[in-house]
Amino acid sequence: MGDVTLSGISKSFGNVQVIPGLDLSIHAGEFVVFVGPSGCGKSTLLRMIAGLEEPASGTIEIAGRDVTQAEPADRQLAMVFQTYALYPHMNVAQNMEFGLEMAKMPKAERLKAVKSAAEILQITELMDRKPRELSGGQRQRVAIGRAIVRNPALFLFDEPLSNLDAELRVQMRLEIARLHSELSATMIYVTHDQTEAMTMADRIVVLRKGVIEQVGRPRELYTNPDNLFVAGFIGSPRMNLLRGTVTGRAASGAALVDVPQLSLSQLEVPLRVADSKISGQVTLGLRPEDFTEPASGGLVVTLHARVIEDLGGSAYIYSSTGREDAIVAEISRRVLPKVGDFLDLGIRGRDCFLFGADGDRL
Amino acid sequence: MKRTLRWNLALLAVLVSLATLILLPFWFVLTGSIKEPAEIIGREPTMFPQSFTLQHYAKLISASDYPVYMMNSMIVATASTVITLLLAIPAGYAFFRMSFAGRETLYRAILLAYAFPSIVILIPLFGIFAKLGLLDSRLALVLVNVAFALPFAIWMLRSFFASIPIEIEEAARLDGGAPLTVLRRIMIPLVAPGIAAVAVFTFITSWTEYVFASVMILSDAKRPMPVGFSGIIGQYQIDWGLLLAGASLSLLPVVILFAFVGRWFVAGLTEGAVK
Repeated sequence: MGDVTLSGISKSFGNVQVIPGLDLSIHAGEFVVFVGPSGCGKSTLLRMIAGLEEPASGTIEIAGRDVTQAEPADRQLAMVFQTYALYPHMNVAQNMEFGLEMAKMPKAERLKAVKSAAEILQITELMDRKPRELSGGQRQRVAIGRAIVRNPALFLFDEPLSNLDAELRVQMRLEIARLHSELSATMIYVTHDQTEAMTMADRIVVLRKGVIEQVGRPRELYTNPDNLFVAGFIGSPRMNLLRGTVTGRAASGAALVDVPQLSLSQLEVPLRVADSKISGQVTLGLRPEDFTEPASGGLVVTLHARVIEDLGGSAYIYSSTGREDAIVAEISRRVLPKVGDFLDLGIRGRDCFLFGADGDRL
Repeated sequence: MKRTLRWNLALLAVLVSLATLILLPFWFVLTGSIKEPAEIIGREPTMFPQSFTLQHYAKLISASDYPVYMMNSMIVATASTVITLLLAIPAGYAFFRMSFAGRETLYRAILLAYAFPSIVILIPLFGIFAKLGLLDSRLALVLVNVAFALPFAIWMLRSFFASIPIEIEEAARLDGGAPLTVLRRIMIPLVAPGIAAVAVFTFITSWTEYVFASVMILSDAKRPMPVGFSGIIGQYQIDWGLLLAGASLSLLPVVILFAFVGRWFVAGLTEGAVK
């Protein structure tokens, strides 16, 4: 029921190879999020699963059946589009009913299915309205309603929330998560917003240039990224990535790293593979919230607070006004400095990540 | 920018003078058709009718073949419009949706039909219709009208189809709609303004077509309105009252058509222009 297996899927548009060849399995009932920067092929991948694009090679199986050549309607799936794609000349009820009518369901059953979907989404009072008479959030509900009436084993969402304002986005995020637990269907969700990915996914698939960079639970990706790309992409504000040099090894097997930008030396950073032989230039990654109180052990660095973003509960300190080379630290509101102050913060090697010249985690 | 009173007045003056330029001849035709003959040909033209009579209309309807011409024109224009739409809608959709070799070339080539003055093909077409036994038939006029309206109709409808977001069609495909069902249930309602525009365009060109009708139709009983009506003038000398009454009546179907779809027609033209 609703498991999806992609084997050797590739796709080109003209001479541009969007997806060079990719394997992925999605278990039944899972909520999987495809995330990546624009142009990474995530939407193309979703559209191939939907049957709206044909892969150049490879096979797509849904619920154990090879659907690579099947029509979209024969794949037992429903899709929610970024632009809602409601039929403008039909009212809400007709919009939701259309697919059932195409499936030749008797009228009485159709009405029953539409009614129950409308109740789940709390849109019963909108049934006679045309899409143009609805707000963005209501339209998105109807689009989801149109998907759930068909009772599919697999839901596809193509950036469904990106046209909504921030508050509605949070609300709809919860709504979709609730639907997932109620319907226990498989859901594949495409977004470029890593917050959506982190909050909704059972598993996240991080894509770059049509290649899967890492697949895993949100927390795994956050705390144990495989490479520089995933480390930089997941998390907001993004992980601090600093140039460093490995100068030797500690007795524990950890690498000893010098980071000139922080005037740090001999930071003991544990390695993924303890006996790997590394030396020379590396990239050190440290998440903003992993800066600690100076007294809590580890090494102490001094940051110049050039910009302060006060979020109320906590604040972000930026060491430079340029976003690119700024070091960002999250601090408690209790130790909030003033702009221009110098601030001592602790760094523990075990919170840091090391990446090699090729971007792979060390 | 806030418009001042002066600006508004100037704008109003321009609009009024333009409207006058266009509407004044209509006014003279309409009012003339109900004036006594003596008033129509009086030395001083009257802006507002000083007399009232329906004698011109009565004469037109009872003593001339005008009703026959009107009916012929109705049949030809309606048939031309319906056939043009039946051909242009699937063709426009196919040009927009299907990919086939030479699509773009063909799409541009159909507009080439308008590069030549239609009079150029009059004689060859006459020869062809003579061989096919289509001369002196209303079918010949329908064929000519459809042939002239179709390229523009296809071209216009394709741009209307192209203005519909692709996701709507994809959603319909995911909902399980077969291509013809999607066309009928989803696409056609959404291009209704384009269809209305094409219908009005075809109807008016067919309704007013003169040259081909004057050559292809030989018997009086099959003449459409413009040709038949021009015959009335010669037949009774120049009976101005009759002429004006006939002209007024010939406007009627077009006015009625516009009343129904005119709003769409205007919206359609701008929409087709932008996309």
